[in-house]
Amino acid sequence: MLHPVIRRAALVSAVSALAFVLGAPAQAKVEGDTIVLGAALSFTGKYKTNGQHTKNGYDLAVERINEKGGVKVGGKSYKLKVVYYDDESTAARGAQLAERLIKQDGVKFMLGPYSSGLTKAIAPVTEQAGIPMVEGNGASRALFNKGYKYLFAVLSTSEQYLAEAINLAAEQAKAAGQDPAKLKVAVAVENDPFSQDIRAGVLDDAKRYGMQIVIDDKLPKELNDMSATLTKVRALKPDLLIVSGHAKGAATAIRQLSEQKIDVPMLAMTHCEAAQVRAKFGALADYTLCATQWAETMTYKDDYFGSAGNYAKDFESHFGYVPPYQAAESTASVMVWKDALERANSFDPAKLRDAIAATDMQTFYGNIKFDETGKNIAKPMVLRQIQAGEYKVVAPSKWASDKIIHPIPPWSAR
Amino acid sequence: MVIGIGVAVTLLVPLVPLFQPYMIQFAMLWVLILMALTWDILGGQMGYNSFGNVIFVGVGMYTTAVVQREMFFGAEYASVAGQSSLSLVDYLTGLGIGMGSGAILSVALAAFLGSGILALRGHYFAICTLGLGVAAGELASGWDYIGAGSGLVTPLPPDGVGESSTFFYYVFFVLVVITFMLLRWLYSCRFGLAINAIRDDEDKAEAMGLHTTRYKVVAWCVAAFFLALTGGAFGNLMVFIDPTETAFAGATFGVWMVLMAVLGGKGRLWGPVIGATVFHVLQETFWTYLFGWQRVALGLLIVAVVVFFPLGIVGWVRERFAHRFGEAVDPAARTEQVTLGDGT
Repeated sequence: MLHPVIRRAALVSAVSALAFVLGAPAQAKVEGDTIVLGAALSFTGKYKTNGQHTKNGYDLAVERINEKGGVKVGGKSYKLKVVYYDDESTAARGAQLAERLIKQDGVKFMLGPYSSGLTKAIAPVTEQAGIPMVEGNGASRALFNKGYKYLFAVLSTSEQYLAEAINLAAEQAKAAGQDPAKLKVAVAVENDPFSQDIRAGVLDDAKRYGMQIVIDDKLPKELNDMSATLTKVRALKPDLLIVSGHAKGAATAIRQLSEQKIDVPMLAMTHCEAAQVRAKFGALADYTLCATQWAETMTYKDDYFGSAGNYAKDFESHFGYVPPYQAAESTASVMVWKDALERANSFDPAKLRDAIAATDMQTFYGNIKFDETGKNIAKPMVLRQIQAGEYKVVAPSKWASDKIIHPIPPWSAR
Repeated sequence: MVIGIGVAVTLLVPLVPLFQPYMIQFAMLWVLILMALTWDILGGQMGYNSFGNVIFVGVGMYTTAVVQREMFFGAEYASVAGQSSLSLVDYLTGLGIGMGSGAILSVALAAFLGSGILALRGHYFAICTLGLGVAAGELASGWDYIGAGSGLVTPLPPDGVGESSTFFYYVFFVLVVITFMLLRWLYSCRFGLAINAIRDDEDKAEAMGLHTTRYKVVAWCVAAFFLALTGGAFGNLMVFIDPTETAFAGATFGVWMVLMAVLGGKGRLWGPVIGATVFHVLQETFWTYLFGWQRVALGLLIVAVVVFFPLGIVGWVRERFAHRFGEAVDPAARTEQVTLGDGT
C-alpha cells in the first residue's frame, strides 16, 4: 500500500501528463505537402486590434502564395499554413506559447507576434531553440542589440518612426525665420517597450536641435485617458506634440484633443492607420502627422501583389478595410519566409537562418535586406499628414507627394 | 522510501522522450502550484484573502535579474552582445545569489507591510493588498534602473544548463517539494492550529492568549519567501520581465492563485495542488480548442465551480466520500459541526 500522499501525487501527475499530451496533438514542421509556420498573436487584450491586422496580413500572404503555386523546396511544391495561438497581449503568455509552438507543435518556422514587448518575450525562446523568426511588428531598438542570431525584422526600427516629425518641425521653424532651438516639444507615450523607444528616439533628435522638452509623460497601458497630459499641453503651449500608444493611444489622443479643443501647431503620432482614426473621427483627425512603415501610394513592386496599391485593393476586398502598415509588414514577413525556403532549398533551421540573413528582395512593402543584427536597413519610414480626410506623404522628401499644412488651424477656425 | 520513489519518478519525467516537448507546461504547472500553495497559507488556512501576493513574485523576479545584471554585466548590459556568454558556474551563482537576495528582500517586505496592514481584517485587508499589488506594478513601470516600462531581460542560460525549461522544471519541482513538506509540517504543528484559530474566530484566538499579529506576519513571510524564490526562477525561465505582465501580474497570476486555491479547495493542503493542476490543464486545453473563447470558457467554469462546488474539488470529494478519509459520517454530528461554525 502506497503512502496516500504519493498515491495522490502519482494520480495528479499521471492525469495532468495525459491531459497535456492529449490536449495538444503534436504536429510536424512539414506535414505532407504543407509547410507549417507558427505565430502567437494577440487576439484578446490590449493589442487585439493590431493582432487581428497581423493575422490578416499573414493570412493574405499565405493565400496568395498558395494560389500562385506555393513554395518549391527540393523540386516539390508545398503549401503554407500558419498555426496561431492567442497570447492575450501578455509577455508571459507569449513566451510560453512560443515554446509550445516549437516544442509541442514542432514548428520550425516562426512568424513574429504583435508589439515589441511580445517580440522581446518570444525572441529569447526562438534564439535558444535555434529556430528562425521573421517578424514585422517588433520595432524596439532593444531587440537588435542583444546579439540575437535568429531574429529578423522586415520593418524600420522604432527610433526612426518620428525622427522626421522633429526634422519637419525644425524645417518649418527655419522657414518661418525662427530658431529651432526655441521650439517646445511635448512627449506623451505609453509605458511599454515600443513607445518608450519612440520616446528615446524623439528625445535624441530633439536634443540635436537643442529643442526644449516641456512635457515628458509616461502614460499607462490600456490607454483610455490622457486628459492630465492635455491639461499641461493647454497650459504650456508646446510647438509639437508627440503621442505614441499603439491603436488605443492614437484614438484617445484624437478624441480628447478634439473634445477639449486643445490647439497644437503640430501633432505627430504612431498607429493612426491601425486605430482607423480617419474612419472613426473624420475631420477631427485632420492635420495629424502619422508615422508609417508603408503607404499604398509607394512605388514598390513584386510578383505576388503587383504593387503597394494593388495590395491595398486586395486586402480591402478580403477584409473590408484599408490595410494599415501592420498588416503589410506581416504579409512581407511571410514573403521573406517563402523566398528563404526556396533559396535554402531545405528545411534545416540553420541553413534557413543563413538564407534569411542573405535576403535581398523587393516586395510591395519595400526593399528587404537585413544587417547583421537582423533588422531591415533597406526601407525608410515615411510621415503622412491627414489632409481633408486623405493620407498624404509629406516626408521624407524622396517620397513626399504633398506639402505639410503647418501650423494646424485652431479649433475655433475648423 | 515511498516518498523517495514518488520523487524519483517525477525527477525522471524529463528523461521520457514523450514528455520532453511538454517541459515548459510542467514547469508552469509547478509555478502555478507554488503560487496556489503559498496563497492558501493566508487565504485558506488563515482566512485572510490576499490579492497582493504577486508583489513577492515581482520582488523576487526583479531582485534576481538585477543581481545577475550587476554581478556580470553592469551598466552596459542593454547592449551586451550574445547574452549566453556566461559560464555555467557564473550563471548558477548569479541565479542562486539573486534568488536568495530576492527571498530575503521579500520576507523583509512582508514583515514590514504585514505588521502594518495585517491588523486590517476581512475585505479591508483584501482591498489593501489589491492596492499594493497595483502600486508595485506601477512603481516598477516607472523606475528606470530596472528598465521601467521597457522591461528587463535576464541572461540566457548557457549551454551547460541544457534545455532551459527542463532545468527550471527541476528548480521548481524542488521548490514545490520543499514548500509542500514545510507547509505540511507547519499545518500539523501549533502554527497550523494557531492560524486556523485566527480564521475561525480571531477575537477568541486573541482572548486565548495567541499573539495573532505575530502569527499572521510569520505566515505572510513564509508565503513571501517561497513566492520570491518562484519569481526569481520564473523571471529567468521567461527571460523577458515585463513590469505588469510578468512580474507584478495582478490581472493574471494574482487572480489565478486565488482561483486555483478556491477551485481545488482552500484550507486543505492538497486543495491548491489539485486546483492548480486542474486549472492549468483546462486552461491549456481551452487555449488549444476554444481559440479566442478560452477566457469565457474558463470564466463560466469558475462560476460553475463556485456555485456547485463551493468547497472546491478536494472539499467536495471529502464531503462526498467522507468515510474514505476517516471522517465522521454521522449526519447529526456533521450538522452540529456546521452549526458550531466550523464550516471548513
